[in-house]
Amino acid sequence: MASPPLDGVRVLDFTWAWAGPFSTLQLAHLGAEVIRLESAKRPCVTRAIPPFADNQPGPNRAGYFNQYNQGKRSVTLDIRSPAGGEIVKRLVKLSDVVVENFAGGVIARMGFGYDALCALKPDLIMLSISGYGQTGPYSSYIGYGPPAGALSGFFSTSGYPGLPPSEIGISYADPNAGVWAANLIVAALLHREATGEGQYIDLSQWEAALMMMGEGLIEHAMTGRTPERIGDHDPQMAPHNTYKALGDQEKWVGISVGSEEEWRALCEVMGQKGLADDARFRTMALRKQNEAALDEIITSWTSTRDRWETTRALQRAGVAAYPPLSNKDLAENEHLRERGFLVALEHAEVGKRIHAGVPWTMSGTRTKVRKPAPLRGAAPDSVLRALLGD
Amino acid sequence: MAQQSPAGGKAVQGLRIIEYGEGVSAAFAGKVLADLGADVVKVEPPEGDPLRRRGPFHRDQANPEASGVFLFLNVNKRGVTLDLRRSEDRETFGALLEDADALVHDVAPKRRAELGLASGDLTRRHQALIVTAISPFGDTGPHASYEAHELTVANASGWAFLSPGASPHPELPPLKAFGSQHQMQAGLHASLTTLAALVSKRKTGKGQAIEVSQQECVAAMLEMNFMHWTYAGRETSRCGNRLLGPWFILDCADGQCFVVCVEEHQWQALVEFMGNPEWAKEEIFKDRIARGANMDALYALMSEWASTWKVQDLFREGQKRRIPFAAVNRMGEIYADEHLKSRGFFVEMTHPIAGSYRIPSMPLRSRVGSYAVRRPAPRLGEHNAELLAGKAAR
Repeated sequence: MASPPLDGVRVLDFTWAWAGPFSTLQLAHLGAEVIRLESAKRPCVTRAIPPFADNQPGPNRAGYFNQYNQGKRSVTLDIRSPAGGEIVKRLVKLSDVVVENFAGGVIARMGFGYDALCALKPDLIMLSISGYGQTGPYSSYIGYGPPAGALSGFFSTSGYPGLPPSEIGISYADPNAGVWAANLIVAALLHREATGEGQYIDLSQWEAALMMMGEGLIEHAMTGRTPERIGDHDPQMAPHNTYKALGDQEKWVGISVGSEEEWRALCEVMGQKGLADDARFRTMALRKQNEAALDEIITSWTSTRDRWETTRALQRAGVAAYPPLSNKDLAENEHLRERGFLVALEHAEVGKRIHAGVPWTMSGTRTKVRKPAPLRGAAPDSVLRALLGD
Repeated sequence: MAQQSPAGGKAVQGLRIIEYGEGVSAAFAGKVLADLGADVVKVEPPEGDPLRRRGPFHRDQANPEASGVFLFLNVNKRGVTLDLRRSEDRETFGALLEDADALVHDVAPKRRAELGLASGDLTRRHQALIVTAISPFGDTGPHASYEAHELTVANASGWAFLSPGASPHPELPPLKAFGSQHQMQAGLHASLTTLAALVSKRKTGKGQAIEVSQQECVAAMLEMNFMHWTYAGRETSRCGNRLLGPWFILDCADGQCFVVCVEEHQWQALVEFMGNPEWAKEEIFKDRIARGANMDALYALMSEWASTWKVQDLFREGQKRRIPFAAVNRMGEIYADEHLKSRGFFVEMTHPIAGSYRIPSMPLRSRVGSYAVRRPAPRLGEHNAELLAGKAAR
């Protein structure tokens, strides 16, 4: 098997929190050498918030940091001090890519804007992730992930029917911006290889989230409407919901039916063949129209059965079904385990903990988690020596 | 303005990508590559991509040439029709692949053999081809052949279990987020890995087979939730509490506004913004953890104040004071937003059937290239003559 695709690419990673580190995580998965610059004065927020291994706080014990910084190196320095600045400049000269996610304009004020860095490394690729982009009236606004969910329409379109707009459980705009950034960096590497040119890329986290709202935006463009909140229902398919399963308030099973064949199979598995030809449910349009009655019938079947038993019975008959998985369910999921998605490498402080690994496989080039997240505190000298090969 | 390269630059411009899709996933991967500048050829069955029949349609008039989601996903692509169930058409498809750098598709593993899309066969026959196959659960493992729609994967990835978060309604199920997020996210990972495989191909001359799992793409982005279990033995849920406050959606005079204060100085600025009310000095609001623990009381007190504000005013006035407010936008407000206008984020499209409308361009600005609409989404079989002539005879 050949070396990973980004073998030999060095990324100087000024990022912190989630969106930025998630972008360089993708690059590390693809084989790039990622060097995270960590502030000596202000540790990354993800090192300072729970969960901590066995609930004992410590900068190297934080699950959040250790998940999204797998496979990277780290250097701790004060980049605002003259000595720190000199080290940063030496590292830039040795790097192919610089990524940062400070608020708009901040990195330029530190003296590390694209023009300054380009003078050191003319074919540098630099990408900035900010909440709103480097230009425009909101460029200096504060842009965490959750507010981006509100601004990009996810809150107004997600939620239960009849209830107000809703949050969506995770700060989705952050990792989404990270994957967009990784796409653009790899495209820029291809461009540099073909032309010798580097480039500066200004990525807006809000705009990246709006790309994923394309279905809602186009609905408004075509019909003038904003999509309504419909819970786990679908605009066309029915039945299509997450139904109560046997057990506590965390046990459910999602069932969705996209064709007549699947509808008949569902009725048969429920032991209610006659339902398939019930006048209320004979076509998809009728089922959609009468979905409240349909949901009630299905719930009376699912609510007395184990969620996995229902899943297996329906999947055997060709009906899409799956339980909502908790973090524990994910860690114990036989499918994910067998595929090798879950990774537990030996970490000096927390030992072997299960992390989410690489969500793809490549047959010809090895892409994998190569090492656990770095410990805080590595001195720049040792890393520089390693890079310079002295 | 001088003619620039596409956003992905000159290298992406030279790429030929074949896309075969049954859903949103491959189409989204193809869209990212096409918008970056690649020459993407969308192969549809003779009856057309199922998305052509899904809508939403222009003024609700069903028409396979004017389905909104299809028009959004397929800008900048050319389109041909081939029936991969027929051996002659599979031959023609093979000829298209000979000239291509990569094939991106989202056909389920168990349906690939009959369509000639088994990854191993394709990469053996076309040594330089990159084959990127997206599926709900990946190509291997006990659930690889499971049927799935977006909801299925939203449950399987662990996202729905956490959503909406801090829910006061344990009787309501885990909530799927709007749209086709798992399909799109896997598409975005598919374009990433395809581009990375092109970097390898430049060095080795060889293609390879890539598989992307929708379930895994999103299971890898659950914030710190997964590690709550593997580090601390804690199951997180849609019904849990927020650890810090304020963190909620406020009702305003004409809609809703979200607010979160992560830093103490943001809270101090908020108290001043609200006119230094007496209640803000109470012990139960002394720091972000205390405010999180007493969120109900805080919500009630802030609601009264927020109810007199208009959403967009509260958002902007709050942000001017460095307080993270965010308007809970509906689609119309997004299209009308002055910041997005100033960045030229939306581009105008004109379509013979769907009329004039605006679509998002790309989320980036670069000095090397820029987003451009080179062509609208293809009509069914629009480029058959141009792209298939001579291929069938080989």
